[in-house]
Amino acid sequence: MIRKWIGVTLLGVISTMGLVGCGGATGEDYDLVIWEDQDKGIGIKEAVANFEELHDVKIKVEEKAYTNQIEDIRLDGPAGIGPDILTIPADQIGTAKVEGLLKELYVDDSVKGLYTQTAMQSQIIDGQVFGLPKAVETLILFYNKDLISEEELPETIDEWYETSLQYREDDLYGLLALWDQIYYAFGLISPYGGYIFDYDTSSGYDVSRIGLNNDGAIEAMSYLQQFYGSGAFPAGIIGEQGIDMLEALFIEGQAAAVISGPWNLEPFQSAGINYGVAPLPLLNNGERMSSFNNVKGYSISSFTENADLAEKLLLFITNEENSRIRYVETLEVPAVQSLAEDEALMQDEGAKAVAVQSIYSVMMPNIPEMSEVWTPVDAALQTIANGRAEPIDALNEAVEQIARQIEVNHTSQQ
Amino acid sequence: MEDNLKNNESKTNHRKMALCLSIIPGLGQFYNRQWIKGIVYFIFASAFIFSFNELISSYLWGLFTLGTEAPRDNSIYLLAEGIIAIIVIGFASGIYYLNLKDAYSNGKRRDQQQPLTTLREQYFNLVDQGYPYVISGPSFLLLVFAVIYPILFSFAIAFTNYNLYHSPPANLISWVGLATFRDIFLVDVWRSTFFSVLSWTVVWTVVASTLQISIGIFLAVVVHQKDLKFKKFIRTVLVLPWAVPGFVTILVFAGLFNDSFGAINNSILAFLGISPIPWLTKETWTRIALLLMQGWLGYPYIFIVTTGVLQSIPDDLYEAASIDGASTVTKFRKITLPLLLLSIAPIIITQYTFNFNNFNIIYLFNGGGPAVPSSTAGGTDILVSWIYSLTMESSQFALAAALTILLSIFVIGIALWQFRKTKSFEEA
Repeated sequence: MIRKWIGVTLLGVISTMGLVGCGGATGEDYDLVIWEDQDKGIGIKEAVANFEELHDVKIKVEEKAYTNQIEDIRLDGPAGIGPDILTIPADQIGTAKVEGLLKELYVDDSVKGLYTQTAMQSQIIDGQVFGLPKAVETLILFYNKDLISEEELPETIDEWYETSLQYREDDLYGLLALWDQIYYAFGLISPYGGYIFDYDTSSGYDVSRIGLNNDGAIEAMSYLQQFYGSGAFPAGIIGEQGIDMLEALFIEGQAAAVISGPWNLEPFQSAGINYGVAPLPLLNNGERMSSFNNVKGYSISSFTENADLAEKLLLFITNEENSRIRYVETLEVPAVQSLAEDEALMQDEGAKAVAVQSIYSVMMPNIPEMSEVWTPVDAALQTIANGRAEPIDALNEAVEQIARQIEVNHTSQQ
Repeated sequence: MEDNLKNNESKTNHRKMALCLSIIPGLGQFYNRQWIKGIVYFIFASAFIFSFNELISSYLWGLFTLGTEAPRDNSIYLLAEGIIAIIVIGFASGIYYLNLKDAYSNGKRRDQQQPLTTLREQYFNLVDQGYPYVISGPSFLLLVFAVIYPILFSFAIAFTNYNLYHSPPANLISWVGLATFRDIFLVDVWRSTFFSVLSWTVVWTVVASTLQISIGIFLAVVVHQKDLKFKKFIRTVLVLPWAVPGFVTILVFAGLFNDSFGAINNSILAFLGISPIPWLTKETWTRIALLLMQGWLGYPYIFIVTTGVLQSIPDDLYEAASIDGASTVTKFRKITLPLLLLSIAPIIITQYTFNFNNFNIIYLFNGGGPAVPSSTAGGTDILVSWIYSLTMESSQFALAAALTILLSIFVIGIALWQFRKTKSFEEA
């Protein structure tokens, strides 16, 4: 008896399961889908509404963390549920292009000329354009106004070194920076003549020529060693946990200044620090400390079904007017050249510092081989900071390792 | 009885006839005059062929060629669909086999002049004996698609050249057979990395597991002594390392072992007057730290299990041994240890296989680092964490899949050998 009932129930359940597969989700039909960065949808809301009216189309804006959109589009794109336009950081463009995830754009020089040269270059690989810049981010100097006033702010790095030693006597810290990581140390390596991959505007990056162990790089790292050796930097600032220590010291008011990025504008403010921002200091050879230019851009997915419309939308949301509106809403510094002098931008200290520093910033190589650089060179810089190796030996070894990794993972696979 | 059979065999050969006819499902049953069953099988088979014919043949084409034109053909999708086709064919073959078996066994019954089972009888048979199969059917289906299918997929990837430069939709991947496996042993960099990672994995497994087992057994025996007071309290304290989630513990240890500001270098070693040890930047020290940590994390489980087993060893054995004049060590070696190992042998084996694939501790402590010049993997990378970084950071999917297969062969082989060995131990 029981068995009969179980059998009937089972039959019912299985047939219901079969029916479930029948109904399809029929949502509204959108002409275009945009994947915007997390919490930044408000920046393009107005632009999207204007476009919808102008062309009588429906556009959907979805928000996803911009660093992971490439992973999502790998799966969603071929399945047909991907976006038409997505937000992607410039250093992922190389990888995305090799995999065929982005559609090539054909834009004329007038459009290219809207943006700063570094920002536009970051979207170009082998002469092909794969996106348009949306926002730029670069390292800036945060200083605690309660510990050091704007007038007292040292101009050169030597002055910062002296100031830091003075602060150490009061058991505080002067300038703190994560110079055991290439992302920050590049600020000194580049103006002294070092580089990651040799770059030529016509032929692009030459991965066989790595400039991390040339004279300039060695000179830069030798100069930085004194910060660690003299105790101007705490011991714990080296390594993976260094960034936590750096931010903790600044938030607790124990450090006069730190070199960090715009991602800390909000957190430092919430922590109640009375801080000011400035571009990075000058170096001993008279040049300003450099930094990597992080460009976030909009690109068109290669799986789009509305390529023409998507391209029109892309040009629309990245034009001057809409870039300005986007800045006002999201406070992300745009890449448009003319906006660098814009009033709204000039009023916000953080944006102004980023805009000024961007002029001295260098494009991060956007090729896939770049992923092989980070680990070996960071390990080398760490041994230099620890005093366990001489700059020349550590950097030579790092370059050897990078070259070998590139050979194994990239050149031999193509 | 045998004569009877032999007689029957020479007279008719229904079973062979039924079997041959059953190549077309249903005909065998018709031959045996089981009409309804025959119709069912026939309809089922024709429906299968009609509806799935094109789909399966196109999926199989995709599987063999992995696409001929990018970007129209997405090789990975073709591979996935191809494997589904294989699984469906597998199910269909199962039912086809049932059909053949049914026709053969009914033909045999006719040969032996036995009455054929009626439909009613067969139905009741099915419900009676097939009941457990029906109930576990859905979960078996789920198992096939959620466990077996991904395993087949990564197995297949190992025989392709799927990596960053051969990834859809811009490129096609192709079957390269054993080329990836060959490369592991022929290309200098991969070979040296593979063997250094393998040797460290083996050393790690053996030393870490043995350490935690020894500590666990030792402590259990010590705490088990009759004269010890506060047994419950001591046991509770000794089990605490197991109580805190390993994840959290490992991260805390990573902070404690930090070269520059960790408590071990700054407080403990400074107190003892020893200069700071580069725990995280020199691979020898990182390895030692990992072994100590695993010993600490792993012993409570063995401790508890051993305590349980110790309580089941009868006291008279020990008394008899004392009368014979055995020392404590001899008692341990001759009485406790053999009985203990016999009981917890499977658990000991699982400790070894657990540590062989102990991804958490390696990855959370120092990410498999520090970097060493002679290999592309980190200094403390074990096989499984190296496979992880190959997949996530270098996009070398085919290589990672090939290494996974090698790793699985190794683990399964050792586990099988261990199980066999302990069985013979039992018989002795």
